[in-house]
Amino acid sequence: MLEMQALSLRYGDQAVLEDIDLRLAPGERVGLLGPSGAGKSSLLRLAAGLLPPSGGQLRNTFRCPVLMFQEPRLLPWRHALDNVALPLRAAGHAAARAEAIAHDWLARVGLDRAMRAWPGELSGGMAQRVSLARALALAPDLLLLDEPFSALDPALRLQLSACCHKEMAARKSALLCISHDPHELLGLVDRCVLVQHGRLTPIPLGGPIGSPQRTADADRLRAVLLDTRAQP
Amino acid sequence: MNTPRAGKGRTSRGWAAAGVLLLLLAWHVAARQLGPLLMATPWEALCAIGPLVSSDRFFAHAGLSLMRIGVGVLAGASIGFTLGVLAGHSTRLRGLIEPLRWLLMALPPVVVVVLAMLWFGLGSPMVVFITTLMMAPGMYVNTVKGMLHVDRQLVEMTHVYRYGAWLRLRHLYLPALSAPLLAALLIATCGGVRLVVMAEVLGAENGVGYALANARSTFDTAELFAWVLLILGLVAMLEFALLQPLQRRLGRWMEPSHA
Repeated sequence: MLEMQALSLRYGDQAVLEDIDLRLAPGERVGLLGPSGAGKSSLLRLAAGLLPPSGGQLRNTFRCPVLMFQEPRLLPWRHALDNVALPLRAAGHAAARAEAIAHDWLARVGLDRAMRAWPGELSGGMAQRVSLARALALAPDLLLLDEPFSALDPALRLQLSACCHKEMAARKSALLCISHDPHELLGLVDRCVLVQHGRLTPIPLGGPIGSPQRTADADRLRAVLLDTRAQP
Repeated sequence: MNTPRAGKGRTSRGWAAAGVLLLLLAWHVAARQLGPLLMATPWEALCAIGPLVSSDRFFAHAGLSLMRIGVGVLAGASIGFTLGVLAGHSTRLRGLIEPLRWLLMALPPVVVVVLAMLWFGLGSPMVVFITTLMMAPGMYVNTVKGMLHVDRQLVEMTHVYRYGAWLRLRHLYLPALSAPLLAALLIATCGGVRLVVMAEVLGAENGVGYALANARSTFDTAELFAWVLLILGLVAMLEFALLQPLQRRLGRWMEPSHA
């Protein structure tokens, strides 16, 4: 369970988030939408424990929360396989077991032939797939996604988004996801929240993932986004 | 307009060999001018190496100096590195250590030698103490500088993936710091050899420096220069056979194979 009550975040005198109330139960998948600079990434970083809140209460009882960044953030001096295996070793797996799991996950994201490649040798899409494999290999019960597929081409974005959705649904993991692409977001989450001026506003959705109402939902989310960008 | 050439960053071996020959020539001319009592020629020094190496005292002196260099450089590098990593994490500790770092770097080594002779007397503890004290600041400065330049995004990533202190040191900080650390280690090792020899010349009853001082006092110029050649050989071996291959090995990831 992730619970934020009257949470606030300030950078010096500047208020980034104010009076945030958000509750994420196990298995629940929530999308965060909003204009740039609204505080979405800060909210995710608070949830990941990378930032201390300035006020309010934050309770995170998830066993294994993992944040997947917008950039791959791979260790450039370790092979793709090591980049996936190291967090597993940090989580307590023996080296051989960690390598086996990493091997399996890299194969699942289509990188069978790039196990021993240095990150500098990988394309942007391949590096982001390594990053996704690294996040999912840990079997997180809470996955925090900060626009992880935004730099990828549409086909790959769709493929990785589907892989992510399948895995999260199979494990019944909770998900908190930022995306500027309503279609991508609606393929991953059960409900959406608008982040604007440091505050949260729920956006009601018409139907569950995969339902026909989601097409109308996508149009509505796009309109909401355009509206927020038009506002000062 | 200059045309780019392959391997521009690498030192040309041919020119390096020409540089060595030029140095030997200058040495030979200088020795001819000064006479055999003041300076041996390169050939005389080379010929003196054989009898020197086969003498009983050679291995005792050389072994002792090598031990002092090894312990002194290792202790200095370890202390400098450990304090550098800690100070890289804490601005308070960095502020606390800064005056001592400045003091040690500004202090002429000969002053430390004289003081250490008073405190420890003649022998290994004095030499090792001086080497450690003089080597640590260089390693410390390079480590702190490297720590401050470690990619913050990667540091954050290791927090998200809950890397422990050992994994973070082994897989993030050490590889990220490998270039400045190896440069510092190179300087420390070469400097360490010179410092140990100087400390032994000034205040030891054994070791290469003592043998050098002994050869000087008996006007055995050929032996004195034979020792110099051996010291140069040791520094070259440490640099070319140990540190440079290590540097190449640790930098493999920067040269993608495009396989």
